[in-house]
Amino acid sequence: MPRPSLFRPTQRHPSLWSRPEERYPTYWVETLGSLPPTHGERWSAARGRTVRHFDPYRSKLAAAIARGWEGDLPAVGEHWLYLGAASGTTASFVADLVGPTGRVYAVERSLRPFGRLISAAERWPNLLPILADARRPREYVDWVPPVAGIYLDISQPDQVEILRENARFFLQDRGRALVALKASSIERGVPPAQHARRAAEALAVEFRVGAPLSLAPFHRAHYFLDLNRSPASSDSGPSARRSTRGSGSPGPRPR
Amino acid sequence: MAVALLLRAGPRLLIRDPGALGWEVLPWESGPSEEDPLPAGAIRILGRLSATTEIEVGSESLRRAVERLGRRARLAGSETIRRARATIPVPTDARERRFLIDLARARLEEALRDPDEVLIALAREEERVERALGRERNAALEFGRGGDPNVAAYAGRWARFRDLFEQHHRELSAELERAAQRVLPNLTQVVGFRAAARLLAQAGSRAALGRMRSARLQLLGSKRRPSPERGPKYGILYRGERMEDVPPARRGAYARSLAALAVIAARADVHTGRPVAPELKRRRDRRVESLRRGTRA
Ligand SMILES: C[S@@+](CC[C@H](N)C(=O)[O-])C[C@H]1O[C@@H](n2cnc3c(N)ncnc32)[C@H](O)[C@@H]1O
Repeated sequence: MPRPSLFRPTQRHPSLWSRPEERYPTYWVETLGSLPPTHGERWSAARGRTVRHFDPYRSKLAAAIARGWEGDLPAVGEHWLYLGAASGTTASFVADLVGPTGRVYAVERSLRPFGRLISAAERWPNLLPILADARRPREYVDWVPPVAGIYLDISQPDQVEILRENARFFLQDRGRALVALKASSIERGVPPAQHARRAAEALAVEFRVGAPLSLAPFHRAHYFLDLNRSPASSDSGPSARRSTRGSGSPGPRPR
Repeated sequence: MAVALLLRAGPRLLIRDPGALGWEVLPWESGPSEEDPLPAGAIRILGRLSATTEIEVGSESLRRAVERLGRRARLAGSETIRRARATIPVPTDARERRFLIDLARARLEEALRDPDEVLIALAREEERVERALGRERNAALEFGRGGDPNVAAYAGRWARFRDLFEQHHRELSAELERAAQRVLPNLTQVVGFRAAARLLAQAGSRAALGRMRSARLQLLGSKRRPSPERGPKYGILYRGERMEDVPPARRGAYARSLAALAVIAARADVHTGRPVAPELKRRRDRRVESLRRGTRA
Protein backbone atom coordinates (compact mmCIF):
# COMPACT_ATOMS: atom_id res chain seq x y z
CA MET A 1 0.00 0.00 0.00
CA PRO A 2 1.43 3.40 -0.97
CA ARG A 3 2.32 5.83 1.77
CA PRO A 4 -0.57 8.26 2.25
CA SER A 5 1.65 11.32 2.43
CA LEU A 6 2.38 10.83 -1.27
CA PHE A 7 -1.14 11.70 -2.35
CA ARG A 8 -1.55 15.25 -3.54
CA PRO A 9 -4.78 17.14 -4.00
CA THR A 10 -5.52 18.28 -7.54
CA GLN A 11 -6.90 21.62 -8.54
CA ARG A 12 -9.53 20.27 -10.83
CA HIS A 13 -11.63 18.45 -8.26
CA PRO A 14 -11.65 18.25 -4.45
CA SER A 15 -12.08 14.45 -4.50
CA LEU A 16 -9.39 13.79 -7.11
CA TRP A 17 -5.90 13.07 -5.85
CA SER A 18 -2.73 12.35 -7.73
CA ARG A 19 0.32 10.42 -6.75
CA PRO A 20 3.60 10.84 -8.58
CA GLU A 21 5.03 7.59 -9.85
CA GLU A 22 8.10 6.76 -11.87
CA ARG A 23 6.93 8.17 -15.18
CA TYR A 24 3.39 9.44 -14.86
CA PRO A 25 1.20 10.34 -11.95
CA THR A 26 -1.60 7.96 -11.01
CA TYR A 27 -5.01 9.32 -10.06
CA TRP A 28 -7.09 8.39 -7.06
CA VAL A 29 -10.60 9.35 -6.05
CA GLU A 30 -11.82 9.76 -2.54
CA THR A 31 -14.63 7.27 -2.13
CA LEU A 32 -18.13 7.74 -0.79
CA GLY A 33 -18.97 4.08 -0.98
CA SER A 34 -18.16 1.55 1.66
CA LEU A 35 -15.38 -0.96 1.11
CA PRO A 36 -14.66 -3.40 -0.39
CA PRO A 37 -14.13 -1.62 -3.68
CA THR A 38 -16.38 -2.40 -6.64
CA HIS A 39 -14.05 -4.35 -8.88
CA GLY A 40 -10.95 -5.21 -6.92
CA GLU A 41 -9.21 -1.91 -7.61
CA ARG A 42 -6.34 -0.76 -5.37
CA TRP A 43 -7.26 1.50 -2.51
CA SER A 44 -5.64 3.25 0.37
CA ALA A 45 -6.94 4.68 3.61
CA ALA A 46 -5.33 7.27 5.79
CA ARG A 47 -6.44 10.03 8.13
CA GLY A 48 -10.09 9.28 7.66
CA ARG A 49 -9.95 9.33 3.87
CA THR A 50 -10.25 6.36 1.58
CA VAL A 51 -9.08 6.75 -1.98
CA ARG A 52 -9.51 4.27 -4.83
CA HIS A 53 -7.17 3.97 -7.79
CA PHE A 54 -8.76 5.47 -10.89
CA ASP A 55 -7.24 2.97 -13.30
CA PRO A 56 -7.08 4.12 -16.94
CA TYR A 57 -7.25 0.52 -18.13
CA ARG A 58 -10.48 -0.07 -16.25
CA SER A 59 -12.24 3.20 -16.83
CA LYS A 60 -12.42 5.35 -19.94
CA LEU A 61 -12.88 8.49 -17.87
CA ALA A 62 -9.64 7.71 -16.04
CA ALA A 63 -8.01 7.04 -19.41
CA ALA A 64 -9.11 10.46 -20.67
CA ILE A 65 -7.46 12.08 -17.64
CA ALA A 66 -4.30 10.04 -18.17
CA ARG A 67 -4.27 11.14 -21.82
CA GLY A 68 -4.28 14.77 -20.78
CA TRP A 69 -7.94 15.70 -21.10
CA GLU A 70 -8.41 18.88 -19.11
CA GLY A 71 -12.14 19.50 -19.37
CA ASP A 72 -14.55 19.75 -16.49
CA LEU A 73 -15.10 16.64 -14.42
CA PRO A 74 -18.54 15.94 -12.98
CA ALA A 75 -18.72 18.47 -10.15
CA VAL A 76 -19.87 18.29 -6.56
CA GLY A 77 -23.65 18.45 -6.24
CA GLU A 78 -24.46 17.73 -9.89
CA HIS A 79 -26.92 15.16 -11.18
CA TRP A 80 -25.63 12.89 -13.95
CA LEU A 81 -27.29 10.36 -16.18
CA TYR A 82 -24.94 7.47 -16.87
CA LEU A 83 -25.85 5.31 -19.89
CA GLY A 84 -24.27 1.86 -20.12
CA ALA A 85 -23.22 1.57 -16.49
CA ALA A 86 -22.45 -2.17 -16.64
CA SER A 87 -21.59 -3.28 -13.09
CA GLY A 88 -20.82 0.27 -11.98
CA THR A 89 -17.05 0.57 -12.24
CA THR A 90 -16.86 4.06 -13.70
CA ALA A 91 -20.33 4.99 -12.48
CA SER A 92 -19.13 4.57 -8.88
CA PHE A 93 -16.29 7.01 -9.56
CA VAL A 94 -18.70 9.52 -11.07
CA ALA A 95 -20.81 9.07 -7.93
CA ASP A 96 -17.71 9.84 -5.84
CA LEU A 97 -17.09 12.99 -7.87
CA VAL A 98 -20.61 14.40 -7.55
CA GLY A 99 -20.50 13.69 -3.83
CA PRO A 100 -23.30 13.14 -1.31
CA THR A 101 -25.38 16.04 -2.61
CA GLY A 102 -25.14 14.84 -6.20
CA ARG A 103 -26.81 11.90 -7.91
CA VAL A 104 -25.89 9.40 -10.60
CA TYR A 105 -28.77 7.73 -12.43
CA ALA A 106 -27.17 4.63 -13.90
CA VAL A 107 -28.92 2.92 -16.81
CA GLU A 108 -27.96 -0.61 -17.85
CA ARG A 109 -29.96 -3.17 -19.78
CA SER A 110 -28.02 -6.43 -19.33
CA LEU A 111 -29.27 -8.49 -16.42
CA ARG A 112 -25.99 -9.90 -15.21
CA PRO A 113 -24.05 -6.68 -14.75
CA PHE A 114 -27.24 -5.07 -13.47
CA GLY A 115 -27.33 -7.42 -10.48
CA ARG A 116 -23.88 -6.20 -9.55
CA LEU A 117 -24.87 -2.60 -10.21
CA ILE A 118 -27.61 -2.97 -7.59
CA SER A 119 -25.05 -4.16 -5.04
CA ALA A 120 -22.83 -1.18 -5.85
CA ALA A 121 -25.85 1.11 -5.44
CA GLU A 122 -26.47 -0.33 -1.98
CA ARG A 123 -23.02 0.85 -0.98
CA TRP A 124 -22.99 4.24 -2.71
CA PRO A 125 -25.58 6.58 -1.22
CA ASN A 126 -26.00 8.53 -4.46
CA LEU A 127 -25.87 5.84 -7.16
CA LEU A 128 -29.29 4.85 -8.52
CA PRO A 129 -29.63 1.79 -10.74
CA ILE A 130 -32.17 1.69 -13.59
CA LEU A 131 -32.80 -1.43 -15.65
CA ALA A 132 -33.68 -0.10 -19.10
CA ASP A 133 -32.61 0.23 -22.70
CA ALA A 134 -30.93 3.58 -23.33
CA ARG A 135 -32.62 3.64 -26.73
CA ARG A 136 -35.96 4.16 -24.99
CA PRO A 137 -35.63 7.11 -22.60
CA ARG A 138 -39.43 7.24 -22.32
CA GLU A 139 -39.13 4.14 -20.15
CA TYR A 140 -37.17 5.95 -17.46
CA VAL A 141 -38.51 9.47 -17.80
CA ASP A 142 -40.53 8.73 -14.64
CA TRP A 143 -37.35 8.19 -12.64
CA VAL A 144 -34.74 10.61 -13.98
CA PRO A 145 -34.86 14.40 -13.42
CA PRO A 146 -33.10 16.94 -15.64
CA VAL A 147 -29.35 16.47 -15.29
CA ALA A 148 -26.22 18.59 -15.54
CA GLY A 149 -24.43 15.92 -17.51
CA ILE A 150 -24.82 12.71 -19.48
CA TYR A 151 -22.05 10.11 -19.51
CA LEU A 152 -22.37 7.61 -22.34
CA ASP A 153 -20.38 4.42 -22.76
CA ILE A 154 -22.36 1.81 -24.63
CA SER A 155 -20.35 0.79 -27.73
CA GLN A 156 -23.33 0.56 -30.06
CA PRO A 157 -23.37 1.64 -33.71
CA ASP A 158 -26.16 4.14 -32.93
CA GLN A 159 -24.46 5.64 -29.86
CA VAL A 160 -24.66 9.19 -31.26
CA GLU A 161 -28.42 8.96 -31.81
CA ILE A 162 -28.86 7.49 -28.32
CA LEU A 163 -27.05 10.46 -26.81
CA ARG A 164 -29.17 12.95 -28.74
CA GLU A 165 -32.44 11.39 -27.75
CA ASN A 166 -31.47 11.27 -24.08
CA ALA A 167 -30.30 14.88 -24.20
CA ARG A 168 -33.74 15.89 -25.49
CA PHE A 169 -35.40 14.38 -22.46
CA PHE A 170 -32.91 15.05 -19.70
CA LEU A 171 -30.06 17.44 -20.38
CA GLN A 172 -30.33 20.89 -18.82
CA ASP A 173 -29.91 23.94 -21.04
CA ARG A 174 -26.27 24.38 -20.17
CA GLY A 175 -25.66 20.70 -19.65
CA ARG A 176 -22.72 18.75 -20.94
CA ALA A 177 -21.92 15.25 -22.00
CA LEU A 178 -18.90 12.99 -21.81
CA VAL A 179 -18.84 10.21 -24.36
CA ALA A 180 -16.61 7.17 -24.65
CA LEU A 181 -16.98 6.49 -28.33
CA LYS A 182 -16.23 3.11 -29.77
CA ALA A 183 -14.92 3.74 -33.23
CA SER A 184 -13.99 0.30 -34.49
CA SER A 185 -15.60 -1.67 -37.27
CA ILE A 186 -18.59 0.59 -37.78
CA GLU A 187 -17.86 1.02 -41.40
CA ARG A 188 -15.33 -0.79 -43.50
CA GLY A 189 -12.47 1.27 -44.87
CA VAL A 190 -13.00 4.17 -42.49
CA PRO A 191 -10.20 4.48 -39.94
CA PRO A 192 -11.32 4.88 -36.31
CA ALA A 193 -9.96 8.42 -36.01
CA GLN A 194 -12.04 9.52 -38.96
CA HIS A 195 -15.06 7.79 -37.60
CA ALA A 196 -14.64 9.64 -34.32
CA ARG A 197 -14.37 12.94 -36.18
CA ARG A 198 -17.57 12.20 -38.06
CA ALA A 199 -19.39 11.44 -34.84
CA ALA A 200 -18.11 14.74 -33.45
CA GLU A 201 -19.35 16.58 -36.52
CA ALA A 202 -22.74 14.94 -36.30
CA LEU A 203 -23.04 16.14 -32.71
CA ALA A 204 -21.91 19.67 -33.51
CA VAL A 205 -25.50 20.49 -34.50
CA GLU A 206 -26.61 20.71 -30.90
CA PHE A 207 -23.34 20.71 -28.95
CA ARG A 208 -20.08 22.50 -28.82
CA VAL A 209 -17.69 19.63 -29.38
CA GLY A 210 -14.04 19.31 -28.47
CA ALA A 211 -11.66 17.38 -30.71
CA PRO A 212 -11.96 13.61 -30.18
CA LEU A 213 -9.24 12.34 -27.86
CA SER A 214 -7.79 8.91 -28.51
CA LEU A 215 -7.82 6.64 -25.46
CA ALA A 216 -5.02 4.39 -26.77
CA PRO A 217 -3.11 2.58 -25.41
CA PHE A 218 -5.61 2.07 -22.58
CA HIS A 219 -8.63 1.36 -24.78
CA ARG A 220 -8.00 0.56 -28.41
CA ALA A 221 -10.15 2.32 -31.05
CA HIS A 222 -11.93 4.33 -28.36
CA TYR A 223 -12.24 8.08 -28.35
CA PHE A 224 -13.38 10.49 -25.71
CA LEU A 225 -15.66 13.38 -26.57
CA ASP A 226 -16.37 16.36 -24.36
CA LEU A 227 -19.62 18.11 -25.32
CA ASN A 228 -21.37 21.23 -24.13
CA ARG A 229 -24.92 22.08 -25.02
CA SER A 230 -24.71 25.56 -26.41
CA PRO A 231 -27.25 27.75 -24.60
CA ALA A 232 -28.73 29.01 -27.85
CA SER A 233 -29.13 25.70 -29.61
CA SER A 234 -31.97 24.27 -27.60
CA ASP A 235 -34.53 26.89 -28.75
CA SER A 236 -33.26 28.20 -32.00
CA GLY A 237 -31.34 25.74 -34.07
CA PRO A 238 -29.87 28.00 -36.76
CA SER A 239 -28.45 30.60 -34.39
CA ALA A 240 -26.55 28.00 -32.39
CA ARG A 241 -23.29 29.40 -31.14
CA ARG A 242 -20.11 28.34 -32.78
CA SER A 243 -17.55 26.27 -31.00
CA THR A 244 -15.45 28.51 -28.82
CA ARG A 245 -14.04 26.02 -26.44
CA GLY A 246 -12.17 22.81 -26.82
CA SER A 247 -11.68 23.18 -30.55
CA GLY A 248 -7.93 23.52 -30.24
CA SER A 249 -5.51 20.97 -28.93
CA PRO A 250 -6.93 18.70 -26.28
CA GLY A 251 -4.09 19.52 -23.96
CA PRO A 252 -0.77 17.95 -23.19
CA ARG A 253 -0.58 14.22 -23.54
CA PRO A 254 1.83 11.85 -21.95
CA ARG A 255 3.65 9.42 -24.33
CA MET B 1 -56.93 25.29 -25.18
CA ALA B 2 -56.18 24.17 -21.64
CA VAL B 3 -53.67 21.39 -21.10
CA ALA B 4 -52.94 19.66 -17.81
CA LEU B 5 -49.54 18.03 -17.44
CA LEU B 6 -48.82 15.02 -15.23
CA LEU B 7 -45.29 13.82 -14.63
CA ARG B 8 -44.07 11.10 -12.36
CA ALA B 9 -40.89 11.71 -10.37
CA GLY B 10 -40.11 8.44 -8.61
CA PRO B 11 -42.22 8.33 -5.45
CA ARG B 12 -43.99 11.59 -6.33
CA LEU B 13 -46.51 12.85 -8.83
CA LEU B 14 -46.28 16.35 -10.31
CA ILE B 15 -49.43 17.93 -11.67
CA ARG B 16 -49.85 21.22 -13.48
CA ASP B 17 -53.52 22.05 -13.51
CA PRO B 18 -54.14 24.90 -15.98
CA GLY B 19 -56.87 26.23 -13.69
CA ALA B 20 -54.54 26.54 -10.71
CA LEU B 21 -51.27 28.36 -10.22
CA GLY B 22 -48.08 26.38 -10.45
CA TRP B 23 -47.53 22.77 -9.63
CA GLU B 24 -48.94 20.29 -7.17
CA VAL B 25 -46.41 17.81 -5.85
CA LEU B 26 -48.12 14.75 -4.38
CA PRO B 27 -46.47 11.83 -2.63
CA TRP B 28 -47.02 8.62 -4.55
CA GLU B 29 -45.96 5.83 -2.32
CA SER B 30 -47.72 2.69 -3.36
CA GLY B 31 -44.87 1.36 -5.53
CA PRO B 32 -42.39 0.45 -6.48
CA SER B 33 -44.18 -0.54 -9.64
CA GLU B 34 -44.98 1.09 -12.90
CA GLU B 35 -48.62 0.14 -12.73
CA ASP B 36 -49.42 1.91 -9.47
CA PRO B 37 -52.88 3.49 -9.30
CA LEU B 38 -52.80 7.28 -9.05
CA PRO B 39 -52.75 8.74 -5.53
CA ALA B 40 -56.09 9.96 -4.16
CA GLY B 41 -55.06 13.63 -4.41
CA ALA B 42 -54.46 13.25 -8.12
CA ILE B 43 -57.82 11.59 -8.68
CA ARG B 44 -59.47 14.58 -7.01
CA ILE B 45 -57.57 17.06 -9.20
CA LEU B 46 -58.39 15.13 -12.37
CA GLY B 47 -62.03 15.06 -11.33
CA ARG B 48 -62.04 18.87 -11.13
CA LEU B 49 -60.66 19.33 -14.64
CA SER B 50 -63.21 20.41 -17.19
CA ALA B 51 -64.07 17.89 -19.88
CA THR B 52 -62.34 19.98 -22.53
CA THR B 53 -59.04 20.14 -20.70
CA GLU B 54 -56.51 17.93 -22.43
CA ILE B 55 -54.20 15.78 -20.38
CA GLU B 56 -50.56 15.22 -21.22
CA VAL B 57 -48.42 12.72 -19.36
CA GLY B 58 -44.73 11.80 -19.28
CA SER B 59 -44.82 8.06 -19.77
CA GLU B 60 -46.88 5.16 -21.07
CA SER B 61 -47.49 3.78 -17.61
CA LEU B 62 -48.79 7.13 -16.41
CA ARG B 63 -51.03 7.27 -19.44
CA ARG B 64 -52.43 3.87 -18.56
CA ALA B 65 -53.00 5.02 -14.97
CA VAL B 66 -54.96 8.06 -16.20
CA GLU B 67 -56.94 6.09 -18.74
CA ARG B 68 -57.95 3.56 -16.10
CA LEU B 69 -59.87 6.50 -14.59
CA GLY B 70 -61.73 7.01 -17.83
CA ARG B 71 -59.84 10.11 -19.04
CA ARG B 72 -57.93 10.22 -22.27
CA ALA B 73 -54.31 11.27 -22.14
CA ARG B 74 -51.49 11.72 -24.63
CA LEU B 75 -47.72 11.61 -24.28
CA ALA B 76 -45.99 14.95 -23.76
CA GLY B 77 -42.97 15.69 -25.97
CA SER B 78 -39.45 15.34 -24.65
CA GLU B 79 -38.88 19.09 -24.69
CA THR B 80 -42.10 19.78 -22.76
CA ILE B 81 -41.06 17.29 -20.11
CA ARG B 82 -37.53 18.61 -19.82
CA ARG B 83 -38.65 22.21 -19.48
CA ALA B 84 -41.40 21.42 -17.04
CA ARG B 85 -39.14 19.39 -14.79
CA ALA B 86 -36.53 22.15 -14.84
CA THR B 87 -39.03 24.54 -13.26
CA ILE B 88 -39.98 22.41 -10.26
CA PRO B 89 -37.32 21.33 -7.83
CA VAL B 90 -38.05 17.84 -6.60
CA PRO B 91 -36.05 16.70 -3.61
CA THR B 92 -33.61 13.91 -4.26
CA ASP B 93 -33.71 12.27 -0.90
CA ALA B 94 -33.38 8.93 0.82
CA ARG B 95 -36.97 8.15 -0.10
CA GLU B 96 -36.24 8.49 -3.80
CA ARG B 97 -33.16 6.32 -3.44
CA ARG B 98 -34.98 3.55 -1.57
CA PHE B 99 -37.76 3.67 -4.14
CA LEU B 100 -35.40 3.30 -7.10
CA ILE B 101 -33.34 0.52 -5.55
CA ASP B 102 -36.50 -1.43 -4.68
CA LEU B 103 -37.81 -0.85 -8.18
CA ALA B 104 -34.51 -2.05 -9.66
CA ARG B 105 -34.73 -5.26 -7.61
CA ALA B 106 -38.34 -5.83 -8.57
CA ARG B 107 -37.57 -5.31 -12.25
CA LEU B 108 -34.58 -7.61 -12.16
CA GLU B 109 -36.63 -10.33 -10.46
CA GLU B 110 -39.42 -9.89 -12.94
CA ALA B 111 -36.98 -10.04 -15.85
CA LEU B 112 -35.47 -13.22 -14.50
CA ARG B 113 -38.92 -14.84 -14.42
CA ASP B 114 -39.51 -13.94 -18.03
CA PRO B 115 -38.24 -16.66 -20.42
CA ASP B 116 -37.58 -14.06 -23.16
CA GLU B 117 -35.37 -11.99 -20.87
CA VAL B 118 -33.53 -15.07 -19.70
CA LEU B 119 -32.90 -16.08 -23.29
CA ILE B 120 -31.60 -12.59 -24.05
CA ALA B 121 -29.27 -12.70 -21.04
CA LEU B 122 -28.01 -16.15 -22.05
CA ALA B 123 -27.46 -15.01 -25.62
CA ARG B 124 -25.33 -12.05 -24.49
CA GLU B 125 -23.40 -14.22 -22.08
CA GLU B 126 -22.71 -16.90 -24.66
CA GLU B 127 -21.52 -14.30 -27.13
CA ARG B 128 -19.13 -12.84 -24.58
CA VAL B 129 -17.74 -16.26 -23.69
CA GLU B 130 -17.41 -17.22 -27.34
CA ARG B 131 -15.42 -14.08 -28.03
CA ALA B 132 -13.15 -14.64 -25.04
CA LEU B 133 -12.62 -18.23 -26.07
CA GLY B 134 -11.70 -17.11 -29.59
CA ARG B 135 -9.05 -14.81 -28.13
CA GLU B 136 -7.71 -17.66 -26.00
CA ARG B 137 -7.44 -19.97 -29.00
CA ASN B 138 -5.63 -17.34 -31.04
CA ALA B 139 -3.25 -16.60 -28.21
CA ALA B 140 -2.56 -20.32 -27.85
CA LEU B 141 -1.80 -20.62 -31.56
CA GLU B 142 0.67 -17.77 -31.34
CA PHE B 143 2.37 -19.20 -28.27
CA GLY B 144 5.76 -20.71 -29.17
CA ARG B 145 5.68 -24.49 -29.38
CA GLY B 146 9.45 -24.87 -28.96
CA GLY B 147 11.19 -27.84 -27.43
CA ASP B 148 11.90 -26.19 -24.10
CA PRO B 149 10.40 -28.38 -21.34
CA ASN B 150 9.35 -25.41 -19.20
CA VAL B 151 7.51 -23.86 -22.09
CA ALA B 152 5.88 -27.19 -22.88
CA ALA B 153 4.81 -27.71 -19.27
CA TYR B 154 3.36 -24.23 -19.16
CA ALA B 155 1.54 -24.71 -22.45
CA GLY B 156 0.13 -27.99 -21.13
CA ARG B 157 -1.31 -26.39 -18.02
CA TRP B 158 -2.71 -23.57 -20.08
CA ALA B 159 -4.34 -26.07 -22.44
CA ARG B 160 -6.06 -27.76 -19.49
CA PHE B 161 -7.54 -24.48 -18.34
CA ARG B 162 -8.67 -23.81 -21.85
CA ASP B 163 -10.39 -27.18 -21.93
CA LEU B 164 -12.34 -26.21 -18.84
CA PHE B 165 -13.31 -22.98 -20.52
CA GLU B 166 -14.41 -24.90 -23.65
CA GLN B 167 -16.44 -27.17 -21.42
CA HIS B 168 -18.12 -24.14 -19.85
CA HIS B 169 -18.91 -22.80 -23.29
CA ARG B 170 -20.44 -26.13 -24.36
CA GLU B 171 -22.67 -26.21 -21.30
CA LEU B 172 -23.70 -22.62 -21.79
CA SER B 173 -24.50 -23.36 -25.45
CA ALA B 174 -26.59 -26.36 -24.49
CA GLU B 175 -28.60 -24.23 -22.08
CA LEU B 176 -28.96 -21.53 -24.70
CA GLU B 177 -30.22 -24.10 -27.19
CA ARG B 178 -32.89 -25.41 -24.80
CA ALA B 179 -34.03 -21.89 -23.99
CA ALA B 180 -34.16 -20.88 -27.66
CA GLN B 181 -36.18 -23.98 -28.58
CA ARG B 182 -38.68 -23.13 -25.89
CA VAL B 183 -39.05 -19.44 -26.62
CA LEU B 184 -38.61 -19.35 -30.40
CA PRO B 185 -39.22 -22.88 -31.70
CA ASN B 186 -39.78 -21.98 -35.36
CA LEU B 187 -36.99 -19.44 -35.65
CA THR B 188 -34.57 -21.79 -33.94
CA GLN B 189 -35.24 -24.52 -36.47
CA VAL B 190 -34.86 -22.19 -39.43
CA VAL B 191 -31.73 -20.18 -38.50
CA GLY B 192 -30.22 -22.22 -35.65
CA PHE B 193 -30.36 -21.59 -31.91
CA ARG B 194 -27.39 -19.26 -31.65
CA ALA B 195 -28.58 -16.93 -34.40
CA ALA B 196 -32.19 -17.09 -33.16
CA ALA B 197 -31.18 -16.09 -29.62
CA ARG B 198 -28.90 -13.31 -30.82
CA LEU B 199 -31.59 -11.94 -33.10
CA LEU B 200 -33.92 -11.69 -30.13
CA ALA B 201 -31.22 -10.06 -27.98
CA GLN B 202 -30.42 -7.55 -30.68
CA ALA B 203 -34.07 -6.76 -31.37
CA GLY B 204 -34.43 -6.15 -27.62
CA SER B 205 -37.81 -7.82 -27.07
CA ARG B 206 -40.18 -10.38 -28.50
CA ALA B 207 -42.53 -7.63 -29.67
CA ALA B 208 -39.72 -5.81 -31.49
CA LEU B 209 -38.63 -9.06 -33.13
CA GLY B 210 -42.20 -9.72 -34.26
CA ARG B 211 -42.34 -6.29 -35.95
CA MET B 212 -39.01 -6.64 -37.70
CA ARG B 213 -38.95 -6.50 -41.50
CA SER B 214 -36.77 -8.77 -43.52
CA ALA B 215 -34.28 -6.13 -44.78
CA ARG B 216 -33.70 -4.99 -41.21
CA LEU B 217 -33.42 -8.49 -39.81
CA GLN B 218 -30.88 -9.41 -42.48
CA LEU B 219 -28.51 -6.70 -41.22
CA LEU B 220 -29.32 -7.01 -37.54
CA GLY B 221 -26.15 -7.12 -35.48
CA SER B 222 -23.98 -5.87 -38.31
CA LYS B 223 -21.35 -3.54 -36.92
CA ARG B 224 -21.15 -1.61 -40.14
CA ARG B 225 -23.40 1.13 -41.30
CA PRO B 226 -25.81 0.34 -44.10
CA SER B 227 -24.90 2.07 -47.33
CA PRO B 228 -26.34 1.72 -50.81
CA GLU B 229 -23.16 0.55 -52.55
CA ARG B 230 -20.80 -1.18 -50.19
CA GLY B 231 -23.12 -1.82 -47.29
CA PRO B 232 -22.98 -4.97 -45.19
CA LYS B 233 -24.85 -8.05 -46.40
CA TYR B 234 -25.43 -9.74 -43.09
CA GLY B 235 -24.93 -9.40 -39.36
CA ILE B 236 -26.03 -12.15 -37.02
CA LEU B 237 -27.31 -14.23 -39.93
CA TYR B 238 -23.72 -14.81 -40.95
CA ARG B 239 -23.85 -17.46 -38.26
CA GLY B 240 -27.19 -18.71 -39.57
CA GLU B 241 -27.95 -22.33 -40.29
CA ARG B 242 -26.31 -23.77 -43.45
CA MET B 243 -24.41 -20.54 -44.25
CA GLU B 244 -21.19 -22.54 -44.48
CA ASP B 245 -22.74 -24.76 -47.19
CA VAL B 246 -23.11 -21.76 -49.50
CA PRO B 247 -20.22 -20.57 -51.72
CA PRO B 248 -18.75 -17.35 -50.23
CA ALA B 249 -19.75 -15.24 -53.22
CA ARG B 250 -23.42 -16.21 -52.75
CA ARG B 251 -23.65 -15.72 -49.00
CA GLY B 252 -25.16 -12.27 -49.28
CA ALA B 253 -27.91 -13.70 -51.47
CA TYR B 254 -28.44 -16.53 -49.02
CA ALA B 255 -28.62 -14.08 -46.10
CA ARG B 256 -31.40 -12.24 -47.93
CA SER B 257 -33.43 -15.41 -48.44
CA LEU B 258 -32.77 -16.63 -44.93
CA ALA B 259 -33.91 -13.27 -43.53
CA ALA B 260 -37.19 -13.55 -45.44
CA LEU B 261 -37.81 -17.02 -44.00
CA ALA B 262 -36.68 -15.92 -40.53
CA VAL B 263 -39.27 -13.14 -40.50
CA ILE B 264 -42.06 -15.64 -41.18
CA ALA B 265 -40.75 -17.96 -38.48
CA ALA B 266 -40.33 -15.16 -35.94
CA ARG B 267 -43.86 -13.85 -36.56
CA ALA B 268 -45.27 -17.32 -36.07
CA ASP B 269 -43.36 -17.65 -32.78
CA VAL B 270 -44.44 -14.23 -31.57
CA HIS B 271 -48.03 -14.11 -32.75
CA THR B 272 -49.63 -17.45 -33.64
CA GLY B 273 -47.40 -20.19 -32.25
CA ARG B 274 -48.15 -22.30 -35.35
CA PRO B 275 -45.44 -24.78 -36.38
CA VAL B 276 -44.33 -23.30 -39.69
CA ALA B 277 -40.72 -24.46 -39.45
CA PRO B 278 -40.87 -27.72 -41.48
CA GLU B 279 -42.08 -25.93 -44.59
CA LEU B 280 -39.62 -23.05 -44.11
CA LYS B 281 -36.74 -25.46 -43.66
CA ARG B 282 -37.63 -27.15 -46.94
CA ARG B 283 -37.57 -23.79 -48.69
CA ARG B 284 -34.30 -22.90 -46.99
CA ASP B 285 -32.64 -26.14 -48.07
CA ARG B 286 -33.88 -25.82 -51.64
CA ARG B 287 -32.36 -22.33 -51.71
CA VAL B 288 -29.03 -23.66 -50.46
CA GLU B 289 -28.99 -26.31 -53.18
CA SER B 290 -29.73 -23.85 -55.94
CA LEU B 291 -27.07 -21.42 -54.74
CA ARG B 292 -24.61 -24.29 -54.68
CA ARG B 293 -25.42 -25.31 -58.21
CA GLY B 294 -25.14 -21.69 -59.25
CA THR B 295 -28.64 -21.60 -60.69
CA ARG B 296 -31.20 -19.01 -59.76
CA ALA B 297 -34.12 -20.29 -57.79
C1 LIG C 1 -18.28 -0.84 -22.38
S1 LIG C 1 -19.54 -1.33 -21.24
C2 LIG C 1 -19.60 -0.01 -20.08
C3 LIG C 1 -18.48 0.02 -19.06
C4 LIG C 1 -18.75 1.05 -17.98
N1 LIG C 1 -19.19 2.31 -18.56
C5 LIG C 1 -17.54 1.32 -17.11
O1 LIG C 1 -16.62 2.02 -17.57
O2 LIG C 1 -17.54 0.86 -16.00
C6 LIG C 1 -21.01 -1.07 -22.19
C7 LIG C 1 -22.30 -1.41 -21.46
O3 LIG C 1 -23.38 -0.84 -22.14
C8 LIG C 1 -24.48 -1.71 -22.06
N2 LIG C 1 -25.40 -1.38 -23.15
C9 LIG C 1 -25.24 -1.62 -24.46
N3 LIG C 1 -26.30 -1.18 -25.15
C10 LIG C 1 -27.15 -0.64 -24.25
C11 LIG C 1 -28.44 -0.03 -24.34
N4 LIG C 1 -29.04 0.13 -25.52
N5 LIG C 1 -29.02 0.40 -23.21
C12 LIG C 1 -28.42 0.26 -22.01
N6 LIG C 1 -27.22 -0.32 -21.87
C13 LIG C 1 -26.59 -0.77 -22.97
C14 LIG C 1 -23.87 -3.08 -22.16
O4 LIG C 1 -24.74 -4.04 -21.58
C15 LIG C 1 -22.58 -2.91 -21.37
O5 LIG C 1 -22.74 -3.27 -20.03
